[in-house]
Amino acid sequence: MEFRDNKAIYLQIAAYVCEHILLGKWKVDEKVSSVREMAVTLEVNPNTVMRTYELLQNKNIISNKRGIGFFVAEDALKNVKDYLKTQFIEEELPVVFRNVYLLNIGFDELETRYNTFVKETFNP
Amino acid sequence: MIKINNLNFGYSKHQLLFKNLSMQLSNGHIYGLLGKNGAGKSTLLKNLAGLVYAESGSMDVLGYNPAKRQPALLEQICFIPEEFYLPSVKIDAYVKANAVFYPNFDHPYFTSLLAEFDIPVGQKLINMSYGQKKKVIIAFGLATNAKLIIMDEPTNGLDIPSKAQFRKIMASALTEDRCIIISTHQVRDLDNLIDTVIMLDENSVALKASVEEITDKLVFKRVKEIDETVIYSEPSLAGFNAVMPNFHKEDSKLDLELLFNAVLAEKNKLKPIFN
Amino acid sequence: MNNTFNIQRFGLLLKRQWLEFGKIYLISLLVALGVIVAFYGFALWKAFTYADSFSPRDLNFREPLFLIFGFIFISIIASSYFAHLGQKPKAIIDLLIPASTFEKFLTGVFFTSILSIVSFLFLFYITDLAFVSKLRGMYTSVEQITPYVHNGKEITSIDHIAYFFSKYSGRDKFLPLYFFPFFVTSVFLLGSIFFNKFHYIKTAICVMIFSGIWTAIVVKSGEWLFEGKIMIDQENRNMNHMSQNTGEWLGVLLIVTLTAIFWSITYVRLKEKEV
Repeated sequence: MEFRDNKAIYLQIAAYVCEHILLGKWKVDEKVSSVREMAVTLEVNPNTVMRTYELLQNKNIISNKRGIGFFVAEDALKNVKDYLKTQFIEEELPVVFRNVYLLNIGFDELETRYNTFVKETFNP
Repeated sequence: MIKINNLNFGYSKHQLLFKNLSMQLSNGHIYGLLGKNGAGKSTLLKNLAGLVYAESGSMDVLGYNPAKRQPALLEQICFIPEEFYLPSVKIDAYVKANAVFYPNFDHPYFTSLLAEFDIPVGQKLINMSYGQKKKVIIAFGLATNAKLIIMDEPTNGLDIPSKAQFRKIMASALTEDRCIIISTHQVRDLDNLIDTVIMLDENSVALKASVEEITDKLVFKRVKEIDETVIYSEPSLAGFNAVMPNFHKEDSKLDLELLFNAVLAEKNKLKPIFN
Repeated sequence: MNNTFNIQRFGLLLKRQWLEFGKIYLISLLVALGVIVAFYGFALWKAFTYADSFSPRDLNFREPLFLIFGFIFISIIASSYFAHLGQKPKAIIDLLIPASTFEKFLTGVFFTSILSIVSFLFLFYITDLAFVSKLRGMYTSVEQITPYVHNGKEITSIDHIAYFFSKYSGRDKFLPLYFFPFFVTSVFLLGSIFFNKFHYIKTAICVMIFSGIWTAIVVKSGEWLFEGKIMIDQENRNMNHMSQNTGEWLGVLLIVTLTAIFWSITYVRLKEKEV
């Protein structure tokens, strides 16, 4: 995993875990990599991973079973989407809007382009 | 775990390197020790290991005074110096002679660390490159299961794959009862590994704060223009890389190099933020 | 755990130091053996090649060889023992080995004073045994008449060619001489930790200067005390035997005290050694 420059590491790790859940690599009630395993894979401090896991626990994306480890929570999929959606709306959408405004891109054009993108990427 | 109180140290009596340096370090952290050349990073590490003696002040490492060089403390210290020496014997002979001094030495762990570092066990230490030798002493040091791990510029001399292996190994080496202190100039090698930053400057600790605390109080970002809220900035391609007080609870990634320069340049502005 | 001395840890330390120095040590033993054999061979080749060309005087080289070369050998071994502490990388590793300073010091004493002296005596003994046995086999008729004193009685022994370590060799025992090797090694061991470079030369120069001063003091004070005076207590002169004995014991006491002092300084230096 490549870390980007501008986002806190623990949030980037959170995004990484969320992606795994969204893509179905980790399913509901399955065990998530332990703090140590995750730290080793990503070459980061275990305390940072711990911070990520606490965040994800608060968002009900993973849950801690005492003595066994972290598991994907029951409503993880929904919660991940909520979490990512908030993040997207708060962080990335303003950038897109700014460019849409500056470059004078019409909503019609946006819609067509969006539809083609979905078609090409997800239903080829 | 480590308590330093009013440490005064100098290589000559008239010129003190540390003046009233005080600091506490606890278990379960990887401390990154930063500082300019000559700021005393290696010297502070040597003080912790009892390799040099302070003029005055007290030091408590795991309940011992390191200056006494007692075996009970020495077997809990793993010290990886920047320049080191290994005798011209095979690895297993070296381990056989030295591991016995460490009651918690873990032989299978040592073997697995060597495997991870791609070091052939039967090789003679004298025929190894600097980087390979460094990996051997790092592996040996970690396998002692010492509680205090002190590393002076550990990534110097490691090639690119070894640096990644090193980060993985250190990530797995941090346990709740261990304290790891790494001094480094190669900030980029380690910036995700460190959870607490210690910066030495002007005879004392200029900054000691966890990454969480730093990013809580400061925000690191690219800005187009500099205003009065900017504490320190450096020009970049798309404007400026700036350090600012974190008024809006923004999340940002700690830029160690920028922080380092900010501390050196704007100590007076940063001090009140962290105290 | 005992932080000052633990017999098991001491044993492990001896083993570890042997791994480090053993090879060089064995090589120097081999060189020493070569030198001794060369001297014997050079002095006796005529006796071996031509019949009836042996005279007991041919063996007179043994005393100076034993004393001078023995001095050189044990002093070189002693002055190299702590020499590596002058090099930072080696010193760090050694000082951090989890054994007490006292154990590290005792190991030094063992290698430099006991092992080196014993092995030198052994080398000299076997070389002498080999060469002299051969001579005795060749020259069965040569007899050596040696008067010596045993239990206050003068005895004359008639022997073949005498071995160097035979009690019939006709040398007067001079008690302090038995303690002198320990004194020499203690001085050079101190030199090896006192100086950072050129240990042998520097120690040798110091020894010369000190013995020069010592001699000067003795001579000058003797002159000052006895100049222009004559001895009137003629009685005492007849108690020659008695006073010689006391004199020897005083010499022994002096040498033992000095050795103990030098060893203590070495221990303190080792304790205070900084890197």
